[in-house]
Amino acid sequence: MAVKRLKFSKENCIGCQLCAQACSAVHEGEFIPSKARLSIESYYTSEGELKYKDSFCILCGMCKRKCPFGAISLDDKLSLDPDLCTGCGVCAEVCPKKVIKIREEKAVLCDTCNGDPSCVKICPHNALRFE
Amino acid sequence: MFGYQNKVLRIDLTKKATTMEPLNMDWAEKYIGAKGLAIKYLYEELKPGIDPLSPDNKLILMNGPLTGTPVPCSGKLAIAAKSPATGTILDCSIGGHAALKIKYAGYDAVIFEGKLSEPGYVLIQDGKIEFKDASWLWGKGSHEAEALLVDKYGHEASVLSIGPAGENLVTMSCINSDYYRQAGRGGIGAVMGSKNVKAIVVIGTGGVKVPNIVEVTAKLSEILREDTVSEDNMFIYDCGTTAFLEACNDGGILPKRNFSDTTDEEWTKYNGEVLLGNKVGKRGCGSCGLGCGNFLKIGDAICEGPEYESIAVAGPNAGITDPEAIVKANQVADDMGLDTISAGDTIIFAMEMTEKGIHDFGIRFGNKEKYIEYLKLMARREGVGADLALGVKKLSEKYGGQDFAMHVKGLEYPQYEPRGSWGMSLAYAVSDRGACHMRAYAPNEEVFAASIPPYTPEGKGEMVYNLAIYNAVKFSLVICDFWPLSIERMAEVMTMITGKEWTVDELNAVAARVIHLARAFNQREGFNRKDDTMPKRLVNEALKSGPAAGQKIPQEAFEDMLDQYYDVLGWSRDGIVPESILCTL
Repeated sequence: MAVKRLKFSKENCIGCQLCAQACSAVHEGEFIPSKARLSIESYYTSEGELKYKDSFCILCGMCKRKCPFGAISLDDKLSLDPDLCTGCGVCAEVCPKKVIKIREEKAVLCDTCNGDPSCVKICPHNALRFE
Repeated sequence: MFGYQNKVLRIDLTKKATTMEPLNMDWAEKYIGAKGLAIKYLYEELKPGIDPLSPDNKLILMNGPLTGTPVPCSGKLAIAAKSPATGTILDCSIGGHAALKIKYAGYDAVIFEGKLSEPGYVLIQDGKIEFKDASWLWGKGSHEAEALLVDKYGHEASVLSIGPAGENLVTMSCINSDYYRQAGRGGIGAVMGSKNVKAIVVIGTGGVKVPNIVEVTAKLSEILREDTVSEDNMFIYDCGTTAFLEACNDGGILPKRNFSDTTDEEWTKYNGEVLLGNKVGKRGCGSCGLGCGNFLKIGDAICEGPEYESIAVAGPNAGITDPEAIVKANQVADDMGLDTISAGDTIIFAMEMTEKGIHDFGIRFGNKEKYIEYLKLMARREGVGADLALGVKKLSEKYGGQDFAMHVKGLEYPQYEPRGSWGMSLAYAVSDRGACHMRAYAPNEEVFAASIPPYTPEGKGEMVYNLAIYNAVKFSLVICDFWPLSIERMAEVMTMITGKEWTVDELNAVAARVIHLARAFNQREGFNRKDDTMPKRLVNEALKSGPAAGQKIPQEAFEDMLDQYYDVLGWSRDGIVPESILCTL
């Protein structure tokens, strides 16, 4: 069976950021979007366009491949071994979706909530799916 | 209680000094937040009789305990002050993301006092507040100002800005955010302009804590699916407020030509189907579940909207049927920083005055090019705009036409014809900030649900009271108008988020307090029954078309409705809140 990944359809996104609130609730114990493991926004530009920022984990595995310490593993989800992670920041640099952050000298990444992503569960119009 | 940040940021613009103080939790327990709590702060802190455009006025940005949590539709910010348009209390409600950014920056409220010596903007980055020069922004449209500030600070920043209308202290000016969201009515933008504040930029990286957050999040996801984004409510996502166009036209309350009649045979030229055929995107506010915003592009016109009010006032009420012109009027009003309702009502009043030969304002019904040009002139007080910027009340006092000057206390009439929904004439008359449709939404009962006969005064006092109670507490939590949640559901989410048990009775008590307190503010300013009025047009002229053809509202029927409303609230027949209630507030 193919690995499930997060998928985003911008046509369905209303920019409510409930996804980031749910993610941070589950991972940080607080509604704090700045610490969520995804960042999806919609915004208007001065040229009269509606644009989307869609920073979410696509399980590409670049972080695992480039980690100099083998701290990241990937099967049907990403896992971080905090004992091996030095907070060097290579994973954050190579992440194509700019999901990974370094906080207090450790990488912070998306673990797709162990196969039951909170962001997907709360998205009101199925802009985020896990399939 | 959880949910709150327990912090108020007080900004003295005169001294360019800031202080942080605890939120008054005694007041929060009685008024909760947003609308109610902002009114309480203003009631306690403003002396009666101040000039709303003087540095003595305060501009309060207030969110609620639910803001910044996944309670659906909780992302609204109350912006309140004493109204420059009416002299009454004024609270507005703006969507977008500013409410959440302020909460995440760590504040329940931001209170602006005094006045900057030069045009400036205030930058709030979590705990750091800076006063910046805005000479490079002053004079620019709100859209350009927001674009420049977003370029500088990133689109994670929320920008609240005024356009030229607010800078020129036009008493119909609004405060904008996210380009197309407004704190619209009563001249709130003029208060910001009178303080020389062009914009407020907010970056918030903090969070909100609640007990049992994982269970709460799961439960809110369930409520979102079952109760918010339900089949009954999906019209909000699908159509936004354009859905009201059809409902009001069918119901005989869509106004035509400055409220001289209803029902437009040509409405299919600009109805929801036509407008939404030009939809290029969808947007909602922070924590929204529904997503009412329709981003439209039609010809040269771009707008998220237009909303029902803006369609009606620039469409049938102006004798205009061109959808591109209607959208353009919305775009220009937003950019100029003008309330579409008040500015539109003033222009259509000018149209009727010109048509009737009472005073030539140089514009007649149907003139879509001039409608748009006049918005720009009003914002800058140029040419005929210098007069039109006065608004309907002062304009009619200066030139005549008072019988069809459609306003209460100086706030112009929203786009629901009361002769087709008699209770709405009462709702407009007794609303705390002048003629407003967001205090007691009578058409819901009298027209859409048809739960009470529309063309009679009977039972309307109690009906308007019940509708007003519902909105008063809802806008104090705060939850957006578009989620028609039950008061039981309000109690449930308040309990979940604050960790304190809230009951339906307690919420109803908050609602009553808010209504009494707003009235108390106004009566301290000298308002009473004589100011709860209905334009003579509704008494003298019967509608000619539509389901309400033949209807006009006898003055005695209106007085009867006022009596009923005051009785339900325990006010005197003069509309005065008695001391026995005042001392409980």
